[in-house]
Amino acid sequence: MVTRLRKFNRSKGLKATAFLLAVVFITAIVLHVVYIYYRNYDLEPLFEEEYTKSKEFLNDELTPIIDEMHDYLATSIKPDKEFHYYYFFTDEVNTYNNISLDELQKLKYKYEVLIQPWLYKEFKTVQDKSKEYTLYLAFPDDYIQKRQAVWNDIRSELIPITVSFLQSVIAALICLGYLIVVAGRKAEDDKVHLSPYTDRIYSDIQAGGILFTLFIWFYIYGNTLMDNNYQNSNLTADQTISMIAIGIITAIAASICVMFLLSLVRKLKAGKLIKHTLIFAILSGISNFVRSFFNDSRFEHYPLTKSLNRRQVIFTVSSGFMVFIFFISMFINPFFGLFAIFLEGLIIYWYFNENKKTFEEINLGFQESYKEMMKSEKMKVDLITNVSHDLKTPLTSIISYVELLSKEDLPETARDYVKILAEKSERLKNIVSDLFELAKSTSGNLPLNLENLDLKKLIEQTLADMEDDIKKTNLRIKTNLTENPVYIYSDGKKLYRVFQNIIGNALKYSLSGTRVFIDMEIANNYVNVTVKNTASYDMDFTAEEILQRFNRGDKSRSTEGSGLGLSIAESFTQACGGTFKVEIDGDQFKVKMGFPISR
Amino acid sequence: MIGGKPDMETARILVVDDDKTIAGAIEKLLVMEGYEVIKAYNGMEALDALVSNDVQLIILDIMMPKLDGLSTMMKVRDGKNIPIILLSAKSEDSDKILGLSMGADDYVTKPFNPQELVARVKSQLRRYLHLGAKDSANGTSKIVVGGLYMDVEKAEFMVDGEPVKLTAKEFKILEFLMKNAGRVFSAEQIYEKVWQEPAYSVENTVMVHIRRIREKIEINPKEPKYLKVVWGIGYKIEKV
Repeated sequence: MVTRLRKFNRSKGLKATAFLLAVVFITAIVLHVVYIYYRNYDLEPLFEEEYTKSKEFLNDELTPIIDEMHDYLATSIKPDKEFHYYYFFTDEVNTYNNISLDELQKLKYKYEVLIQPWLYKEFKTVQDKSKEYTLYLAFPDDYIQKRQAVWNDIRSELIPITVSFLQSVIAALICLGYLIVVAGRKAEDDKVHLSPYTDRIYSDIQAGGILFTLFIWFYIYGNTLMDNNYQNSNLTADQTISMIAIGIITAIAASICVMFLLSLVRKLKAGKLIKHTLIFAILSGISNFVRSFFNDSRFEHYPLTKSLNRRQVIFTVSSGFMVFIFFISMFINPFFGLFAIFLEGLIIYWYFNENKKTFEEINLGFQESYKEMMKSEKMKVDLITNVSHDLKTPLTSIISYVELLSKEDLPETARDYVKILAEKSERLKNIVSDLFELAKSTSGNLPLNLENLDLKKLIEQTLADMEDDIKKTNLRIKTNLTENPVYIYSDGKKLYRVFQNIIGNALKYSLSGTRVFIDMEIANNYVNVTVKNTASYDMDFTAEEILQRFNRGDKSRSTEGSGLGLSIAESFTQACGGTFKVEIDGDQFKVKMGFPISR
Repeated sequence: MIGGKPDMETARILVVDDDKTIAGAIEKLLVMEGYEVIKAYNGMEALDALVSNDVQLIILDIMMPKLDGLSTMMKVRDGKNIPIILLSAKSEDSDKILGLSMGADDYVTKPFNPQELVARVKSQLRRYLHLGAKDSANGTSKIVVGGLYMDVEKAEFMVDGEPVKLTAKEFKILEFLMKNAGRVFSAEQIYEKVWQEPAYSVENTVMVHIRRIREKIEINPKEPKYLKVVWGIGYKIEKV
């Protein structure tokens, strides 16, 4: 069944059409009813073909005649009118008639009425009130035929209206049925899809909306509908206008109701009808709020905090309960009030005492973890120090013995070897020293001596300090420093190392005859320093690679230095609270540093 | 000081290092310079050696088993003021300051330059053996800071007893800084004081002079002991 239902076309176009048709047919149903009302149709001809067998005939034709005849016979006063029917009545003595019985019997539409005079207080026309009599009544054939013709006319008008009314009902039901079946389904898959618009309205609001819409519709409908008690072969202009108005409001109301109905159906299919109600949302909100007091899953990994939280909940709830008991007991027995106060005292005592214990435990835990942290920190520092020591001690021997060896009387070749040993051990010394400075700096164990210093002055001092090195090259240093001192809070010695390394690199790796630029500018409470030089070689590495430890700017050329210069510069700059960035643009090698200006 | 001062060239030096090859290397380096050397491989041995020997200088490693260098130094300092050069793989400023403040006369980090170590030994011995009287000199024209000695009237300047030739400006800079040892002065302040002219863009001028002075008075100008640059602030003579 379900699989067969899914075979329905679920395209959007079809759905929209079905929706539109449903609205149209619902409107049509209402308009049919209104039309029938306005035309003041008697619906009986629809079900009864023969006029003489209809209730209308019985009630409107026969019964008044019988009553009339009764009155006539009871009072013996002949109604002053022309009779459109025939009658015959006799009590064997007197006869009241406007036709002979024989003739009457020949007529097609004749009726016999049993008269029981004893039921009446007075019945003047009969002698013997205890006997039963028969009243013969008959209609002229042409009279009934005329009536039957009118009856047939109404029938012929009513039947097509009724058929189209029923068609509308069936069509509306089919459209609605289809919409309900395909609601929430999409052509692509078999899942239930909720509309992002209408389905966001809570279910109970929608149901209320349907009722409210129906109420409003009914109200407007009732006000728009005009009284109509006269029969017309055609609608009046007012009636036509009111029908149009009713049609419009019906279409609007039907649209809203069908839309909400389908939304409810979708939610029902998705199993969210009840969950997605305002009442449910409010209730679950309240329940979540209440539960959040008791929920301690947050403290799952912290048993001490958990017990604190639980105790707090117990304390609050039981204290609240005690206050309640206290007020209640004030009306019953003041003794219970005292008892509540006593219990509350116990609760407070318990609460504070237990909390104190827990706080002590927490403090102990803090102390423990702090100790652990200090211990591991110390281990880290110790490791660096010990490894450093273990590397430096044999190196000291090597350097010392190479020195001793160089003082020996050696053959020329051995002297050259010793010279190489001296150079290389010196380099090794530099590498080890740089390596440990870097290790300390990157592990956050670089001792800093922070003070307010003038960065401009520091750069000038560094340049003056390196003057001999600069003069050895045929490079020119072009500085563009700020006019006034720029104070930063930093470690001067470390920053000197930073600039020494960067300028040293620039001197080592710049193209002969070019200039090295050192620019300094202030922006947003930051002082930015840029050192820019033109490389003397092809920089086939990225800015990231050059900063990686041991990654040499020029692998082939340089055999001096540790190759850690830039890494140390970066690490020291960051340790001193600055930013460090390398940019490579063609042959331009740029180091950009930024430091927050101190006040 | 008990007994006469031995000649500088025949001074006896105690070398203490738990690494025997290092102790041996230092011994040979010093023997080549004509000194007499006693070796010890830990603090206890060093203290024993001091009891039985008259020693004019101690080279002391810090990280040693049994009794470390700093504790040994404190024990030695209880009765003797012979120069002590600390030797350590610890190169942090704080380590140096700790060692010097506990009574060391110099602090050399491992791995050291052998020639520099020898130079420092010589300088300490010179000061200790020849400058005893001048150390306590008091006179308005004489200024002493550690191993630096300046006689303003006579325009004399010595480092560890060794006369050093200075230019007039260098002398004036040193005089100003030594008189205010420990205080930091900016290039402008130094310039105005020494050149007697208003200072404008003088950082380079002053720094170049400072560098030259450092080369004349420091054993290792890259790691100056006396004349220091306070980066981003100024210059000072370290109060030793």
